[in-house]
Amino acid sequence: MLNDITLGQYFPGNSLLHRLDPRMKLTLTMLFIVLVFIPRNWISLCGAVVLLAVTVALSRLPIKLLWRSVKPILLIVAFTAVLQIFYVTGGTVLVQLGPVKITTQGLNNAAFIAVRIACLVMGSSLLTYTTTPTALTDAIEYMLAPLKVLRVNAHEIAMMMTIALRFIPTLVEETGKIMSAQKARGADMESGGLIQRVKALVPIIIPLFVSSFRRAYDLAMAMECRCYQGGEGRTRMKKLCSAPRDWIALAVYLLVLAVLIALNVRFGSVLN
Amino acid sequence: MAVLDIQNITHTYAAGSPFEQHAIRDVSLKTVSGELLGIIGHTGSGKSTLIQHLNGLLRPTEGKILLDGQDIWEKPKNIRAVRFRVGMVFQYPEYQLFEDTIYKDIAFGPRNMGLDDAEIDRRVRRAAADVGLDEALLEKSPFDLSGGEKRRAAIAGVLAMEPEILILDEPTAGLDPRGREQILSLIRDYRARRGTTVLLVSHSMEDIARLADRVLVMREGEVAMLDTVERVFARAEELEQMGLTVPAVTKILLLLRQQGVDIATDVYTVEQAIERLLPLLGGERAC
Repeated sequence: MLNDITLGQYFPGNSLLHRLDPRMKLTLTMLFIVLVFIPRNWISLCGAVVLLAVTVALSRLPIKLLWRSVKPILLIVAFTAVLQIFYVTGGTVLVQLGPVKITTQGLNNAAFIAVRIACLVMGSSLLTYTTTPTALTDAIEYMLAPLKVLRVNAHEIAMMMTIALRFIPTLVEETGKIMSAQKARGADMESGGLIQRVKALVPIIIPLFVSSFRRAYDLAMAMECRCYQGGEGRTRMKKLCSAPRDWIALAVYLLVLAVLIALNVRFGSVLN
Repeated sequence: MAVLDIQNITHTYAAGSPFEQHAIRDVSLKTVSGELLGIIGHTGSGKSTLIQHLNGLLRPTEGKILLDGQDIWEKPKNIRAVRFRVGMVFQYPEYQLFEDTIYKDIAFGPRNMGLDDAEIDRRVRRAAADVGLDEALLEKSPFDLSGGEKRRAAIAGVLAMEPEILILDEPTAGLDPRGREQILSLIRDYRARRGTTVLLVSHSMEDIARLADRVLVMREGEVAMLDTVERVFARAEELEQMGLTVPAVTKILLLLRQQGVDIATDVYTVEQAIERLLPLLGGERAC
């Protein structure tokens, strides 16, 4: 059960996407999110889907992996789509049950939004599939650096993120151990009502908290012993460097953005 | 006393995927009522996987585990009942303490068994006495105790269920010599008093040599040896090839024999070594 958590979900590879500068990948991901929300009609949305398909192809990731990232949010997609079906009026009425109407416009909107959310999730999971967590935090640190004028310490934020990511597998393992130990004493986590189940978590969460604090103290101590000082004057083992391919990728994305806007203008909106 | 009969169990992690891995393969073992069975093996030899099968925390991919002749997985819903009969103390058990007082924490197991308050009280006090915890400590928070006391409190939490079979996974790991000594003698005394069957997983050959009746040696998920302590340690060279260290005294005698001293090497405690070595030096001399 606990093995299914895909957080540090980096999938090793050496594709074009893997080699892109993480800063550019982060930028492109944000750009892609904008791209997905721009289309107002199906032709324009197709443009976004094609861009996603090309990016996926370039990443050389198994399709199964992407499916896995969409699977957990299928419920949300379905829920949103159903809401759209019932709330949007307009177009021809297909079915009517009392006050509830299902219209062509409703179905149209539902399908449109489902595709949009699916694209969104797949596009952003590409980032975490092709970028190691450390590269990602480096990129975030770099991109937050301008906030120094607002007295935001980008290095510390990045360090906290790195540490948090580093300890996820450790905590998952620890949770497993504590669960086994409490089950061995007869803890029952599989039956009972909601309140009983929440109560059954106490014997797991408290030891987990205690050990997290212990680890945090130990780590802080170890960092201080090695004279850790923070961002000022630290050098890196792996330097980020951008190559022409990064700028070409950005150009392609911007071009697609322009095309999608043009398609919006040309074909109008199908959404209500 | 209950008898565990393990019949050809195999456990495969991630079966059917490319990461498939046999953690243990075709392991059979039958406990003898009241014995102390030592389990040794290198890291990753499958010791922990094996013992987690014995109280139903893991379900074998193949094979059966019988408790008093009854398959423990016959009714999966009743697996908790098995866990009360086969008590399991994990490595670093003090990390499982969670209640605000030691008393409540020791009572967690008995309470899960659905016992009444009077019985719970009796068991908590008895278990605390078994591990040598002072009554005054019972009302303290687990986090006010020393490392050794916490460990003993956690062990008491399992003893309070009064299991018929007790499994301990590295109960002395990370303790100083004095704490180790305390834990080992409490295991020995407890066994002498209750006659409980005990399975002790340990890295330390010395501990196993001192306490165990039989030894199970695991290697790469399979049973490499299962025999009395004397016979297992007599195969010292094989053990060393497996990366297991024989007790230091046995090693000394082995080295002596290599140097041409005529001495039997089926020795694994200091006392036995003295018996063997004294005659060589001309017997005990009065001084």
